[in-house]
This record gives sequence, C-alpha cells and structure tokens, in this order.
Amino acid sequence: MMFMSHSSLTAWLDELAGERTLIAPRDVGRGHIHLRPVAGSSEITLEYDRPDLSAKEFLFPHTERLMQVEKRSDQVTLHDRFLEKGQVVFGLRPCDAHGLVALDALFRDREPADAHYTRRRQKTALVGIACPQMWESCFCTSLGGAPDDPTHLDVLLTAVEGGYAVQPVTNQGEALLASAAIEEVTDLSLPDIPRNEQVPVLAADQWPAHFDQEYWSRLGERCLSCKLCTFVCPTCRCFDLRDEPVASRTDLVLIERMRVWDACTAPNYRTIAGGHNSRPLKGQRIRNRYYCKFCYYPKDFGPLGCVGCGRCIDVCPVNIDIVEMLNTVYAMHQERDTVEAEAET
Amino acid sequence: MNTIYLPEPARILSIEPMTALEKLFTLELAKGQSLGHQPGQFVEVSVLGVGEAPISISSSPSRSNGTFELCVRRAGDLTGVIHQKEVGDQLGIRGPYGRGFPLEKFRGKDILFAPGGLGLAPARSVINQVLDDRGRYGRVTILYGARNPSELLFKDELKEWEERDDVELRVTVDRPDDEWTGNVGVITTLFSKASVYPRNTVAITIGPPIMYRFVLMELLGKGIPEASIWLSLERRMKCGVGKCGHCQINDLYACQSGPVFSYAEIKAVEGAL
Repeated sequence: MMFMSHSSLTAWLDELAGERTLIAPRDVGRGHIHLRPVAGSSEITLEYDRPDLSAKEFLFPHTERLMQVEKRSDQVTLHDRFLEKGQVVFGLRPCDAHGLVALDALFRDREPADAHYTRRRQKTALVGIACPQMWESCFCTSLGGAPDDPTHLDVLLTAVEGGYAVQPVTNQGEALLASAAIEEVTDLSLPDIPRNEQVPVLAADQWPAHFDQEYWSRLGERCLSCKLCTFVCPTCRCFDLRDEPVASRTDLVLIERMRVWDACTAPNYRTIAGGHNSRPLKGQRIRNRYYCKFCYYPKDFGPLGCVGCGRCIDVCPVNIDIVEMLNTVYAMHQERDTVEAEAET
Repeated sequence: MNTIYLPEPARILSIEPMTALEKLFTLELAKGQSLGHQPGQFVEVSVLGVGEAPISISSSPSRSNGTFELCVRRAGDLTGVIHQKEVGDQLGIRGPYGRGFPLEKFRGKDILFAPGGLGLAPARSVINQVLDDRGRYGRVTILYGARNPSELLFKDELKEWEERDDVELRVTVDRPDDEWTGNVGVITTLFSKASVYPRNTVAITIGPPIMYRFVLMELLGKGIPEASIWLSLERRMKCGVGKCGHCQINDLYACQSGPVFSYAEIKAVEGAL
C-alpha cells in the first residue's frame, strides 16, 4: 500500500498549484467549507465533512461564458470561450466524482457533444479523499457508491495515522503522483466505515407512468420553489442560455453568451410565449425532478441522476427528503404489487 | 473544438407584415448554404445581446431557393426586437432541430390539416411541401381557425388554396367582423363539414394546447387511427440539442424526438398534452 505523509501532501499540493488551477476545500467562514480555487496548501483545510456544494461547478459552472460576440462597426465576430488551463479538484468526495458520470453521459457522450463540458472534463483531474464516515443524510451505498469508492476518481486518498493511504486509479492519476513523495508500506490498515441503512430504490421501469397526484401535491404544498435542491445536486444539469452585455461604446459592443444553471423546480421553467405553462403546479415539478433522477435520466442516458450525497435533504428549508420520497414510492409500489397479486388470485 | 451553441449569421431578405402581431421574415444564411430543413422542424433564432428563442420554420423545403421563412409573433423581449429589424439586418440561426413530419409515411393518403392560430406558420411548411408534390397524396383538406379575421395569416396563400380544385379549404373565425362572410365558430365546427375516409386519412394539427384537446376529440371521433394523427408540441427549447432539459416531457425531449409526435406516441405520456 502506498502512503503519503502530511508534509509530503503539502509539498505535492503546492507543486500542483504552481502548474494548474488547484481547487480544494477551503474554510470560507461561518463554518462553511467549500471547494474553491486556492493559491497553495496553506489555504486548504483538511478537516471537513462533505463540502456544502458539489464539485459539479468546476465541470459545469453555474455561470459559464460560452462565447463572446464582438461588434465593430459592421463587423460581427463570434469567439468560442473554452477553459485553457488544466485544473485539479482536490478533496472532493467519491459521490461527487460519481455524479460526473451522469453529466458525462449527457454532455460528453450523447451526440452532439457539448465541447465546453468535454474540454473541462479533459482538463480536470480528480483527487478525492474518502469520507471518514457516512453522515446522517448520506445514502451513496444505496446507489452503487461508497464513502471510500475510488471508481470515478483519478486518485483516492484515505486518511490514516500520520498521513494518507494513496490509491492511483487512472493513468492520469499515476502521472499526477509522479512528483509526490510516496512510501511503500506494508502494515497499513484502512478504516472500516460503518454504512448507513440501505434505501430501497425502484428500477427505472418500475416507476409508475401514472402519477399518484395526491402524494406529489402534498410534497408540493411544502415546496418553496427555492431551487436549492437542484443547485447543490451533483447531477442536476438544467440550464438556460442568456446574453449579457459587457461593453457598449460607439465603436465596440461586447456581448457574452452565458450558460447559467436553471432548475426544473422553478415556477416559470416551462412557460412558453403567451404565458402557457405545461407544468404549473409545484407538485408536478417536484415529481418531475425525482422522476428525472430515477426513471427518465437512466432511460434516456444510462446513469441514475442521483448518487445519494444527501445534500438536498440538508439544504431544504421545508424538510422535503429524497430518502423519505424513495421509501414512500417503494411502499406504494409494494402495495400495488400486493393489490395486483390479490386481483389475480 | 466547436461549440454547438454557436449561431450562424443569416441576412434578412424581406419582411412582410401579416397581422398586427405577426411578421414573415425571409432569411438567407450568410455563407450561402441551404438550411436543409424538413417541414415541422425549428431553428433557434438569436439577436446577439438580447437572447435566443425556438421558432418554427414556415417555408417548405420545396420552395427554399436557398432561403427560408420564419413567421414571428411579437410576444416578448426577443421577438419585440426581431420585429424592429429591417431588411439587410442579421439574425443568428442555429439548427434546423428536431424531428419533422414523416412525409414518406403519408404517401397515397388523404391529408387533413387542422391548424389553429399561429399553428398555420409551421403547418404551412408541410402544406406547401405536399402541394408541390401533389400527385403523391390523396385528397387534401385544410381546416383553419383563427380568433378573428384580422388575425388570419398567409391570406394570399389561403386564396390560392381556396381556388385550387385539388384542395378543400375551410376557414373559420371565433369572432367575425362586419365584412366577414365565412364560417363563424371555433375550429371544431368545421369538422362536420369535411368528409373523411378515416382509414386512409392522416391528420396534421398544430395549435395551442387548449385546441388540441377538442380537435383530438373530433379526429378520434371520426375514426382516424391514433397513429395517423400528428401534432407539434410547443415547448421552451433553450438549447435545441437535448441538453438543457427545458423541453423534456418525461423521458422524451421535444427538441429531439419531437416537436412533431403522433398521438399514439404521446397519448400515454402524462404532461405531454
């Protein structure tokens, strides 16, 4: 097993920060730890739980300049805008890397490919740190993940006495570690992380095509349409395209076409010209969000749209709880099965 | 690497005011290439600095000559700015996107068009495509409804269709003015006047959501099979390429599998209609 001491880690991170943009957990005040660009290891905190926001924003930024439009007298030129410098996301949790699988399937692998996302993905290395525990709202193990799952990372570190156990996962990870001071040790035992209770999740084709209006309206009564659940989600990917004027002079007009996060839970998400809204009720919008994650997204693109990070549970101001929803939908399914079985006999 | 969100410049060749709210723009891509669309498809139209919106293509490929036409209703910020554009100005165009009408399936069939209001704009693309290849189809019936006579679109073409022996055109308005001598009532009042052989008829209806509910009842009531009824669903496609989520109807994306769907494809999809 490979081992990296705390001081070796610090030196390695400082070196990485010199070559690329280093994004790492940083204490941003008031008890919040966010993944943020850092100048070096001194700005990084290694004492953190699950960062409040996922690592999604470094591959699919909440506001991304897609192109710049330059107007000079009669001449209009359009410039694509792409990420140039490589970046390392350090300290993300395994669930956040798992979340990128859903984004990859849509933006990178489904034709036509989204060049902005694909470029960012190519230029990004993921160095994760295993979760020391599953926190109260975590349920990654119910969705194919684990607090110490290396699968979707380039390198996985696991905290052990005096430093970190190092597990390179991809060739990119190996290359990244080339400059790190790593020792080979034999007597390293990795922590055994207690698992949270499994949550039952229906397969995509088991979600009923006809909705239980009463259950979803009940959830809708509580929802504030605040969209926090979608913004903290590692897989939610709805976006809007907008134009922002940057400069306006007589000889030069600069405009940036931006991609910004949107949310299917927003009231006006579906409004078309003339004002018609084909999803006017909050219950319909919450239902769509959950159905998208567990039924439509896997049917359309393969991966589930949920990795069980639990952030939407913690952030919801009115305690709408995705685990409670999964349990309820599962119970309704069991009930339906029982009724159907009885009807057959 | 090229972004899929990059619009192509297109020059406005002519602008024809149609009603108080709608203008018909004839456009040509600045690089001179044909748009290469199918009837029923749409484009994303941008005015740089204002934004972008999906707009259906109103001209038929059979009459393209390297140009295409968009019938734009002034309904918001972007379309307001488009309405102020002049001949020679440029618009940004992405597309064509989506699945159009599968005309090859319609060969030999009678075709019943039932567009309502602005629905005539996309319907005109497929109507003219059919009329330009008239011999391949059976009877052609067009039932068109508008709110009042001043909102009727493509009046010259309505007159042409009226005069043709091989087209049955019936027009109705909800609220007539003093000069109106035609049918009065909503579009469904025209159905009893049209004779239909349901087994050999394909129906194409495009209009606002409320219209679909009643037109579908009429079409199904006439015995037209669900798989032979085609309609176009209006959604707020932001990207047009199946990424942004806005036009998602359960596991369907209107910008990819649609906007044209048969009734059979969507009747069990909650939230589609």
